[in-house]
Amino acid sequence: MRDALFMGRLTASATHEMQNILATIRESAGLMEDLLALGGEGFAHAERFKKGLSVLAEQVERGMALSEQLNYCAHAPETTPVGSEVNEALRSLVGLLRRDAARCRVSLVLAPGRTGLRTSLRAVEIMALAGLALDCALPLLERDAQLTLSVEEQGGLAVVRLDAGVYEAMRKQEPFAELASCAKAAAVGLGSGPGGQGLVLTLPKPVA
Amino acid sequence: MNKQDWKIMLVDDEHEFITTLAERLELRGITTRVAFDGESALLAVAEEEPHVMILDVLMPGIKGLEVLERVKRSNPRVQVLLLTGHGSTRDGIEGMRLGAFDYMMKPLNIDTLIEKMESAIDYAAKAANLG
Repeated sequence: MRDALFMGRLTASATHEMQNILATIRESAGLMEDLLALGGEGFAHAERFKKGLSVLAEQVERGMALSEQLNYCAHAPETTPVGSEVNEALRSLVGLLRRDAARCRVSLVLAPGRTGLRTSLRAVEIMALAGLALDCALPLLERDAQLTLSVEEQGGLAVVRLDAGVYEAMRKQEPFAELASCAKAAAVGLGSGPGGQGLVLTLPKPVA
Repeated sequence: MNKQDWKIMLVDDEHEFITTLAERLELRGITTRVAFDGESALLAVAEEEPHVMILDVLMPGIKGLEVLERVKRSNPRVQVLLLTGHGSTRDGIEGMRLGAFDYMMKPLNIDTLIEKMESAIDYAAKAANLG
């Protein structure tokens, strides 16, 4: 726990620096755009220059999203009296693991579902459980498949659904034993989706 | 008030960021003054009161929120726009409680920044008329 908090502190500090770097790149690119607009008529490569600046702007946006997700992770080990917002934790997880899934030729998606659902778990616990569930599902999927995570409410509890693969096949994957043990320790229900398809995590209620 | 008459102070320890932002505002006809830390900012405000101060919350030395509190005590007419990061949004909210006009997250969009500066200046003018 102390290690996680320390790593979180380092990450938070690094993401702050990343934001300063991105802010400086955005302003510098903006300044070039301004100067080009003021006197770019005679500049033979103006169009190419503008294209380069728009690529810079896109990459800054990409970096900002990543830095926001990393910053979320940095604070994920912290305990808060109100618990954690499930969709927010999954959004960061999906953002950060998208590249990892792409290595298995799978596209990882968070379905636009219920926001505002909370649990007593720390965000890091939600992320670790969902991450282990993904580890069980990824090796079973075919190339170019889509793996969808979603959040919904069932009987007043937040439920995370992983919509891919056959549950029984996932149970045979190596990370499943760890997933089952972590779920038990965190009082999280673990089972299959309808018709034995996919995997469902039922999270504990937030503390009133 | 015309943009050309605005007096804007920019405070951030990120030299490249803040000087480039100042240059971009100057290109739009807005007069700026730059300070790289809280202490210099307080001295500059005492010397010449700006209409709006753009203030980073996380700086070495005197922190942004302390600068805000001191400026609002000494020069209550100055409108302060705080610059925050993902990790310092709470500071932005706390800053609003302490009298900041608004807060913005880095990286900035210059058009949004100018709109907020304009709103802050309008607000200050209305408050002065009411007072």
